[in-house]
Amino acid sequence: MNTTVFLNIATAICPDRDIISFEGKHYSFALLNERSNRLANALAGLGVKHGDRVGMLEVNCNQHIEVYFATAKLGAIFVPINFRAKADEVSYMLDNAKIKVLFAGSRYIQMLDTILPKLSFIENCVSTDKKLDGTLAYETLVSSSVPDEVAADIGDEDITILMYTAGTTGRPKGVPLRHSAFAGYVIGNVEPANPIVEERNLLSVPLYHIAGIQAMLAAVYGGRTLVLIRQFEVKEWMRIIQEEKVSRTMLVPTMLKWVLDDPDFDHADLSSLKVITYGSASMPFAVIKSAIEKMPWVKFINAFGQTETASTITVLGPDDHVIEGTEEEKEKKLKRLSASIGKPLSDVQIKIVDESGQSLPYNAVGEILAKGARIMSGYWKDDEKTARAKTKDGWLKTGDKGWVDEDGYVFLAGRGDDMIIRGGENISPEEVEDVLHSHPDIEETAVIGIPDPEWGQEPCAVVTLKNGKTTTAEEIMEYCRSRLAGFKRPRQVIFVESLPRNTMGKVLRKELRTNYEQLSK
Amino acid sequence: MVQMGKRYKCEECGTEALCTKVGEGQPICCEKEMEVLEPKALPSSD
Repeated sequence: MNTTVFLNIATAICPDRDIISFEGKHYSFALLNERSNRLANALAGLGVKHGDRVGMLEVNCNQHIEVYFATAKLGAIFVPINFRAKADEVSYMLDNAKIKVLFAGSRYIQMLDTILPKLSFIENCVSTDKKLDGTLAYETLVSSSVPDEVAADIGDEDITILMYTAGTTGRPKGVPLRHSAFAGYVIGNVEPANPIVEERNLLSVPLYHIAGIQAMLAAVYGGRTLVLIRQFEVKEWMRIIQEEKVSRTMLVPTMLKWVLDDPDFDHADLSSLKVITYGSASMPFAVIKSAIEKMPWVKFINAFGQTETASTITVLGPDDHVIEGTEEEKEKKLKRLSASIGKPLSDVQIKIVDESGQSLPYNAVGEILAKGARIMSGYWKDDEKTARAKTKDGWLKTGDKGWVDEDGYVFLAGRGDDMIIRGGENISPEEVEDVLHSHPDIEETAVIGIPDPEWGQEPCAVVTLKNGKTTTAEEIMEYCRSRLAGFKRPRQVIFVESLPRNTMGKVLRKELRTNYEQLSK
Repeated sequence: MVQMGKRYKCEECGTEALCTKVGEGQPICCEKEMEVLEPKALPSSD
């Protein structure tokens, strides 16, 4: 099954129910389907064909979902771009994907003006909210096209989304995701739309993130109403939960901590919430323990996955969040809650291996490998990185370290590589280092993640200066401000005489992490 | 009569069907009436 069928099924079952509630506007399943059809016909008129890439640079909004389905209905590939990225980063992703038509919010058009002249393959740019010079107007495209269903030949194994994710080395990597990867997960885990059962899902995570896309597709198939917010803000989040009677949502650990710490939390009526899923970064034990105590009516789920796995591959379910039973059982559950990501879903295999790739026994720490039909076949146009990420027999190296206990629960033991994860966003140290190396006073640098109670980790730059040069930490952080997305900017700069290196000259990041991990506490 | 939004499964061959339009009669597969699939016990993670 391809994902466009989700919308057809739900439209047949509950055509008049809202699929989108966004800033006072409501779109029913039937209307979403109609607008997506109109947009698909408009895109076909612009020359978009099977396999072409259509980009989207905008915060969460109804247009995001319409453009996804319009693109998918043509058999083309949807490319959501991180709206926090700076011009250089956006330019790289648009170029790597060779975007044919780009949709963008008007606030990004000024930035795009500086980079689009260099990207001649972009044939059309569509402003999603207002008409601007040199762009097509979104609503004009929709209203001037016919609502007929387009009849493209879409295979289950066709790529539907190209999503960019940070790697530990260099630029973001494109991950092509197939219809079957999403269909396999959604059909296997989500109840289909039901004319009687109504659920409302507040989408707190961005749609350029795999968790956002997965939640959107699950909502469409499940006949749920998606309540959209442009970006997460804690008071707005609480207000919307109350007003919209939201029943489920997904949060990254940093967001959940903000919710619990907010002075208005105790007065907020969050009684409509039934399910909170969390993931994308390690959950501090104190935060989830506090959440369970403060919201005992909520079922909590820890969902673990990556862009490369088309999202969730293991789940620590609601029962694992209820600390009851004998003392031995309670101890076991508390241990799981503190570090386990649960058990693999039925269509996923997990194994733990040592550095030579040999499988390890229960409770031995090694790298977590995953295999299954949903795992990506490889990175976009990058055989070298694909070869590093996957074994010859199809196992994905997740880069996470962990172990499996006798009951089949998978536990995390930190990253096996140098990736920094800040508030659920992956940061490549090398990408930050490339910017720092362009600073006229910096001789060499290594960027590491240091623990942070709020964000999980913060990027920290350890630098040496060129002979005779002086500068300040503030000046270096300011230098990065205009060159890197905000979340990637180093929050601390440490000046050293030299970086620790091994005999081959490689920087010993582990030693740096050990030396500076206490820095933020 | 089939129920809108319900999933049916053939006990013989494992085929599943989702009802998107209500009509007379029962879904049949392998010469047997298909069984209604009950909702999952656990909520999905999304």
